[in-house]
Amino acid sequence: MPFKQILSWLQNLFGSRQSFSLGLYGNVNAGKSTLANRISKDWSGEEMSTVSEVPHETREVVKKERLAVRVDGKILTMNLLDMPGIATKVDYRDFIKRGMKLPDAQKRAKEATKGIIEAIKWLEHVDAAMLVMDACEDPYTQVNITILGNLEARKIPVIIVANKIDKKNAKPDRIKAAFPQHPIVEISALKGDHMDQLYRAIAQYAK
Amino acid sequence: MGIEIQFISADKLKDKTPPQKVEYILDQVKKSKNRILVIEGSLSATDEKELIAKTMGEVSKNFPGIEVASLGEQSSTLKTQLIKLLGGKPSGLTVVGPSTLVKQIKRDPDKLSLLTGK
Repeated sequence: MPFKQILSWLQNLFGSRQSFSLGLYGNVNAGKSTLANRISKDWSGEEMSTVSEVPHETREVVKKERLAVRVDGKILTMNLLDMPGIATKVDYRDFIKRGMKLPDAQKRAKEATKGIIEAIKWLEHVDAAMLVMDACEDPYTQVNITILGNLEARKIPVIIVANKIDKKNAKPDRIKAAFPQHPIVEISALKGDHMDQLYRAIAQYAK
Repeated sequence: MGIEIQFISADKLKDKTPPQKVEYILDQVKKSKNRILVIEGSLSATDEKELIAKTMGEVSKNFPGIEVASLGEQSSTLKTQLIKLLGGKPSGLTVVGPSTLVKQIKRDPDKLSLLTGK
C-alpha cells in the first residue's frame, strides 16, 4: 500500500480529517469530465469519466469516492462528483447533426434530460462545488448564474475554474470581470496547467 | 408567422408558490411556438433551477427546451423584502421563450439581447 494511502487511512481512522463531497458543475462541454479525469488520475492513477466532443457525454453523476489529495503536506479526502452538464434545452436533432442515428440520438437526449435533473438535485447535497467555465466562451450564461445563485443561497463554497486556457482564444479575464466575488483559478485540465493552484484553492475554500 | 411577445405583470405571479410559478411560465411558453414571455421582476435562483428541472422533465420531440434570462436582483435581500412588504413591485425582468424560437439570449449585467430564428 503506498505511503499516501496509509497516511489517509490513519487520518480517517483517528478522525483528524473527514471527507467532503466536491461537485463539478457547469455548462455542457465546459471540460468537467476532463478535469475530473485529471484530478482522479493525479491522485489515484486512474481516470473516472468518459470524455467526448459530442455534448452530454456525461449523463449521470460519476463518483470517485475517498480520493486523497495532498496539498502542502496535508491530506484532503474528498468524494469527487462529475456532474452532467446543465442546459436549458436538449434537442436530439443536434446529435443527428453530429452523425448519430435517430434511435441513438433520441436515447441520448432522453438520458441527458434525466442527467440534468439529477445534477440539479445534487446542488442541495454537495459540500463544495467547482463551477467549470470554458474560458473561450461568454461566461455570463444563465446556467452559470443559476448554478452560482443556488450555491450562494445555500452558502456552499464555490471555486470558479476558468478552463481551456491553453487555447489561443481563451479570455479568462472575462470570467474574472463577470464574477469578481468568487475565487477563480485559471487552468487547462487537458494539459494539466496550474493544477497545483487549483488544489491549493480546494484546500483553502472547499474543504 | 410573427412573434408574439407577452408581457406579464409581477401581480400575476405574486400569489403563486414557486412550483405554481414555474408551472405557469412553462405552460405559457408551451402554448405557442411563437411566444416569448417578458415577466416583470427577476426569478430567484431557486425558481430558475426549478424551471430548468421542470423543463427537462417535459422535453419532447416538439419541445426541446427553453431559453431563459433574468435581469436584476435574484436573491432575497433586506431591500427586496422591504419593497415587497410595502406593496412595491420587484425590480428586474425575466425573458423566457421556447428554444425552437429563441436561439440565444446574450446578456450584459444590465442588458439582454435576444436572437430569434426558426
